[in-house]
Amino acid sequence: MTILHERPAGAEPEFGPGRVEPLTEIIPGPRPHGWVRFITSTDHKQIGLNYMVTAFIGFLTAGLMAEGIRTQLAVPNNHFVTLDTFNQLFTMHGTIMLFVFLGPFAFGLANYIVPLQIGAPDMAFPRFNNLSYWLYLGGFLILLFSFMTNNGAADFGWFGYAPLTESIHSPGPGADMWIIGIALTGFSGIFTAVNTISTIFCLRAPGMVMFRMPIFCWNQMVTMFLVLLAFPVLTSAMAMLWLDRHLNTHFYDPNGGGQPILWQNLFWFFGHPEVYILALPYFGVVTEVIATMSKKPVFGYKGMVAATLSIGGLSMGVWAHHMYTTGAVLLPFFAGMSLLIAVPTGIKFFNWIGTMWRGTITLSTPMLFCIGFLMMFLLGGLTGVILAQPPLDFQLHNTYFVVAHFHYVMFGGSVFVVFASIYYWFPKYTGRMLDERLGKLSFVLLFVGFNLTFFPQHDLGLRGMSRRIATYPDNLGYNFLNLLSSIGAYITGIGVIPTLWNIFRSLRHGKIAGDNPWDGQTLEWATSSPPPEHNFEALPPIRSERPLWDANHPDMLTQAGH
Amino acid sequence: MKYEWKVTGGAAAFLAATGLLYWFTSYENSGTVMLGFSFAAYGMLGGFLLLCWFRRKRIPRPEDNPDATQEDGAGEVAFFPAASIWPAGIGLGAIFCAVALIYGNWYWIIGLPLIIGAVIGFTVEAESGLDQVDELHAEAAKRAAEEHPDGTDGVHESHAEHSERS
Repeated sequence: MTILHERPAGAEPEFGPGRVEPLTEIIPGPRPHGWVRFITSTDHKQIGLNYMVTAFIGFLTAGLMAEGIRTQLAVPNNHFVTLDTFNQLFTMHGTIMLFVFLGPFAFGLANYIVPLQIGAPDMAFPRFNNLSYWLYLGGFLILLFSFMTNNGAADFGWFGYAPLTESIHSPGPGADMWIIGIALTGFSGIFTAVNTISTIFCLRAPGMVMFRMPIFCWNQMVTMFLVLLAFPVLTSAMAMLWLDRHLNTHFYDPNGGGQPILWQNLFWFFGHPEVYILALPYFGVVTEVIATMSKKPVFGYKGMVAATLSIGGLSMGVWAHHMYTTGAVLLPFFAGMSLLIAVPTGIKFFNWIGTMWRGTITLSTPMLFCIGFLMMFLLGGLTGVILAQPPLDFQLHNTYFVVAHFHYVMFGGSVFVVFASIYYWFPKYTGRMLDERLGKLSFVLLFVGFNLTFFPQHDLGLRGMSRRIATYPDNLGYNFLNLLSSIGAYITGIGVIPTLWNIFRSLRHGKIAGDNPWDGQTLEWATSSPPPEHNFEALPPIRSERPLWDANHPDMLTQAGH
Repeated sequence: MKYEWKVTGGAAAFLAATGLLYWFTSYENSGTVMLGFSFAAYGMLGGFLLLCWFRRKRIPRPEDNPDATQEDGAGEVAFFPAASIWPAGIGLGAIFCAVALIYGNWYWIIGLPLIIGAVIGFTVEAESGLDQVDELHAEAAKRAAEEHPDGTDGVHESHAEHSERS
């Protein structure tokens, strides 16, 4: 039942094919297979895969909802779904994409990759890790089943502004299931954060000082810092909402002396760090992929770390830029903080380009997705700078311009990197490569489809189309752009299929990958694919931030100061 | 602990500064309270790590030492169970309790016993796991004594001894 992990006490093991000294001593015990393994395993790799697969199912579910929304909006005066169903669709699309897909997919990556990159045998609290997966799955299922209740799922938008969420305006169990489902995923996030931070603080391999950790680990650490600050606020806001609905308290109910604005403050104090929780881990993936595919160390390593830390810090002070039009917030403070975030993000862009500069670039599928990310996240960031300025935001608030902005950040940014991470680390997960041609087909379809969907929405917003309207008359000049947007949504949907087929086929028939197919630089490529239980049989000496590269290319050692 | 306390302490300092700036520019309650608690959270974490760093007399751990070798990290690292049914039990209980908050109090009757039982199982399992570790160490020591009758292998120490020492 148990395993004790020991590091060897002999001489430093020689790194290379002739290594013999085992790093772990494993106590024999039951090693279940199949469903029992899925339920009981405390191996961080199994749990990481569970997270990622479940999250991807969430992505497909919410993606289908998005296709429903776009079908309804394709032509004016459409009746594809009823008005109430439309509200439920966009609410659950947002909720599932944020709470079930993007965040937990990053938690899955944290589970699988972080211990491997710092040379740890497992996460610090393996059984808690398992528990946090079950809470997450429970939250997901409760959110999904809310569609089957008599009043349908929650229909007040993913940020559920009070007092619309009060029981008198949103009766029925759908809204309660929304509250409870999100609270459960919130708890799961908190557990994962505690686990990841403890792992990074206490289980690094000897010689892996903080400033030699891969940027991906730094980004995951800062993300988990943000999770620890943001998710408890969300969970308590949800608890107060539940009390309002069931025990007649009046936290958010103006009729009883409550303040609806309090909900907005609490929610966005979670909601804005959440945006960075969904972005920072993927920045880390981009850094790893670009460095590996350019065969260079990360340009400006310390600058990258400083930029990540300052993005994390600043993101705690910008929550009310979602609330400019309430008239109840301090505009200069929040505008200033929001504009400041552009600086560290700019440093990151500079360093990503600097990493590629004069490198030997391999245009593999993960690299293509990352270059796509660079272009589209830049656009999303620039529209973000526009929206951060109160005079412009007063014009654009609640229009499709905002929708276009955050889809450029979340889809063009994070989802593209989700695909990059799948193509980059699939060989490590399974021992087999994904097919490059299908991957490139998927990239082209997604890139074209995504831009066709969301670029017209900037113009729709400028023309005054507000978000969350279920239909529109045909004389406002919205028709052509909406049709274009819907066609793009279908192309995006089709673009996911090659990747799904690719994963399905490569599990059996993919090319055998070997331990280190990309000539990687970090420790996860130093072990076999898939890694054995407790990860490493031997570790190379860690003398820079890319120990494996130094071991494999002794003639091109990493210089200190990079 | 060498850099960890600086990172968390720095985060706390930043949050304190932001909170003060926010209070004196806006006099708004909820945001100031949240920033204040955020500062407290990271202040505690940073302070704890700083204490650990001083308690170690500022001697870096192998993972804080840039010149450490695998040899320096030798010895027991941590206790890692291989598989366990109890987290799933706690999770299932928690989900039933969550459903109780939606549909009615009778779900507590299923949820609470599941959670309590699973928590007991969880704890007992850790204890018995440690016993197993001790047995294995004893066997290994016996084997080593048979192979090298003149001395011990010097690596293995029982968990009991280890916990007494620490």
